[in-house]
Amino acid sequence: MVSKDCVAMILAGGQGSRLGALTKNVAKPAVPFGGKYRIIDFPLSNCVHSGIDTVGVLTQYQPLELNTYLGTGKPWDLDRSHGGAYVLPPYQSAKAEEWYKGTANAIYQNLGFLEGFNPRNVLILSGDHIYKMNYREMLRAHISSGAAATIAVMPVPWEEASRFGIMNVDDDGVIVEFEEKPAQPKSNLASMGIYIFDYKALKKYLEDDERSPESDNDFGKNIIPTMLKNGEKMMSYKFEGYWKDVGTIQSLWEANMDLIDTPPRFDINDRRWPIYSRSLALAPHYVGYGAKITRSTVTEGCTICGEVDHSVLFGGVSIGEGSVIKDSVILPGASVGNNVTIEKAVIGGEAVIEDGAKIGVTETDDNPYASKYCTHGIVLIEGGAVVAANMDVPKGSMIERE
Amino acid sequence: MRRDTMGVILTSEDRIPPITDIRANAALPIAGRYRIIDFVLSNMANAGLTNVGIVTESNYSSLMDHVKSGKPWDLDRKNDGLSVLPPSLEQTVLGTIKGNIDMLAGIRDYLMRSPQTYVILSLGNFIYNIDFSDVVQAHIDNQSDVTIVYKDVKGYEDAELSRFTLLDFDDDGKVKDIEVQPYYPKTTNASMELYVMDKALLESIIDECSARGDRDFVKDALVKKMLGIRIFGYKYEGYMDKIDSMRSYYKNNMAFLNGDVRKELFNPANPVYTKTKDQSPTKYGDSAVVEHSFVSDGCTIEGTVINCVLSRGVVIKKGAVVKNSIIMQDSVICEDVDLEHVVFDKEVYITKGRKLIGQESYPLAIAKGSKI
Repeated sequence: MVSKDCVAMILAGGQGSRLGALTKNVAKPAVPFGGKYRIIDFPLSNCVHSGIDTVGVLTQYQPLELNTYLGTGKPWDLDRSHGGAYVLPPYQSAKAEEWYKGTANAIYQNLGFLEGFNPRNVLILSGDHIYKMNYREMLRAHISSGAAATIAVMPVPWEEASRFGIMNVDDDGVIVEFEEKPAQPKSNLASMGIYIFDYKALKKYLEDDERSPESDNDFGKNIIPTMLKNGEKMMSYKFEGYWKDVGTIQSLWEANMDLIDTPPRFDINDRRWPIYSRSLALAPHYVGYGAKITRSTVTEGCTICGEVDHSVLFGGVSIGEGSVIKDSVILPGASVGNNVTIEKAVIGGEAVIEDGAKIGVTETDDNPYASKYCTHGIVLIEGGAVVAANMDVPKGSMIERE
Repeated sequence: MRRDTMGVILTSEDRIPPITDIRANAALPIAGRYRIIDFVLSNMANAGLTNVGIVTESNYSSLMDHVKSGKPWDLDRKNDGLSVLPPSLEQTVLGTIKGNIDMLAGIRDYLMRSPQTYVILSLGNFIYNIDFSDVVQAHIDNQSDVTIVYKDVKGYEDAELSRFTLLDFDDDGKVKDIEVQPYYPKTTNASMELYVMDKALLESIIDECSARGDRDFVKDALVKKMLGIRIFGYKYEGYMDKIDSMRSYYKNNMAFLNGDVRKELFNPANPVYTKTKDQSPTKYGDSAVVEHSFVSDGCTIEGTVINCVLSRGVVIKKGAVVKNSIIMQDSVICEDVDLEHVVFDKEVYITKGRKLIGQESYPLAIAKGSKI
């Protein structure tokens, strides 16, 4: 049987509840990002550029849009005869029917899938991070060290270290201790949720973990600590580059803003490492008379007649005359009328902002639309929602679809 | 869904130097991210045709690279699908192709083994957005032998009209006269070089014409047969033009700056597909000034762009001013360059401070890869 040197498994089942109305109907990995992408395009494109041609995508929460988006995997060159992209939902079997109980359990339930490719190593990824990374280099380091598992880590500012899973490593990069969100961090190397396991070791630990009734079946909480306790060789792999968890409205907004400075903090216009996505087949964008676009990215299908500054516009967005858009992210197909002002907002796909509306301008302590998801004054308009003409939507609001 | 119809796209012999030096006319970039052939090809795909053959002339590598397996048009099929048919030298006299009958004779085997009843014969250098299922239905309902799609281009000057094949009809809508590019036009019914016919009739026309040494499908076959067979017109009302000169190339690119033209040609009910390039969105810098322009993905704009069509990956640096121009893929315009009425092929590089000015009636065209 042909053996794959590495099969990737992307954990894409999470709800991403902190993204509020953005993930009401779609799983977090399917959330649009960066003008023409979805979050999952990043790990998928990384896989393809790293020469990994077999990718399982584990879905659970609201999978319809994500499944449709992935299709046969063609946009990522993952429609292959042996390998390719597979959507792996939870399933019923003769013995049991179960949802994915945790990250480790999700992989455990798909050991049958992995077995079919006879892989020597398995790369575990999560579907909610924005970064460009060559997994092939990490795999090489993993193989040459002979470790049972290799975990990608990146240095984070010390003051933030207690928000992460922290790896304490020796001088050779061998992991000696793992602490989940330590109050007194001993290191600033945070786990990025990217693991390469030797397949045989992974299988053994997943099967053991499944037999333990008190386990949460989670990689961070159970599998990694157990392997460390048993004295398995665990290596760290240091990544230095842009990496962002876009789990909240604020971090998603920030990550979009990171694309538009000159030079950008995160460069997606990289010919050597392009991010692939499913194209909407829209015409080039049209910029009208009287339009003004600065410090922004604009993509196909847009029609811009107003002023756009420091913003990210997705496909098919239209901006009417006299409107001013600042520091905002406008998702696919949203329609902004004339004389609208939008500041620091995330406008959902197909939302309609009628003439004269004012979004994210007014500050008030008594805001009926205030939402715990919308921190730092960011406004979120749910996809498909309508903001009526001349409506004033204060900072920090979340407007849901009726 | 017209599973009973196949499509044949002939590439045109109209040359537009320097931009057709390296590619077939049908493969010319247009409207930023498209090639001319995308319009007819997408129309065929949208009508449910699953068997489309592109008959090429000698310069076909760029066209083949563009259409590849036909995936963007969903024409990568288990049965039929997209076929690129390079010229067959055996079918031509002394190795050169002298007319479209020669091109069609070269694909006789392909036509004969295709299982469809009807065929749409088209030319790859027209732009329009038409519902082919309607045209084929009209052809069947009229019990026509040949249906020619045309547009009444009232108001065109004679010189403009003379670019087209012109049709005249009798009271029943039957074609009673055909004149190919006449100097003194008698009608304003411009043929779109789009023919629907029974495949069997096309096969017999090709056979007869090539046996007699005839070269031209319209002049030798249709004109001579006009009275013996039923040729009907199908009137098309939307935007249409033929790209046969630098002037029409320039004019038809600029036409996309008009909202009504965009609405017609990019009708969401009949979308136009093209090969995707996975470019990131276009980036506007803090000194960008862009007005009345059609901009593709992957551009980086820091200068001034007014009244232009930009293809994918164009770079306009600070201080550069580009007006009334068409800039193709990956061209770079450096700082303080001044451009007006230019047509740049791909990968043209203009160094700092240069000034290039063409005229609307005679745009300045620069060949692929030039550095100035």
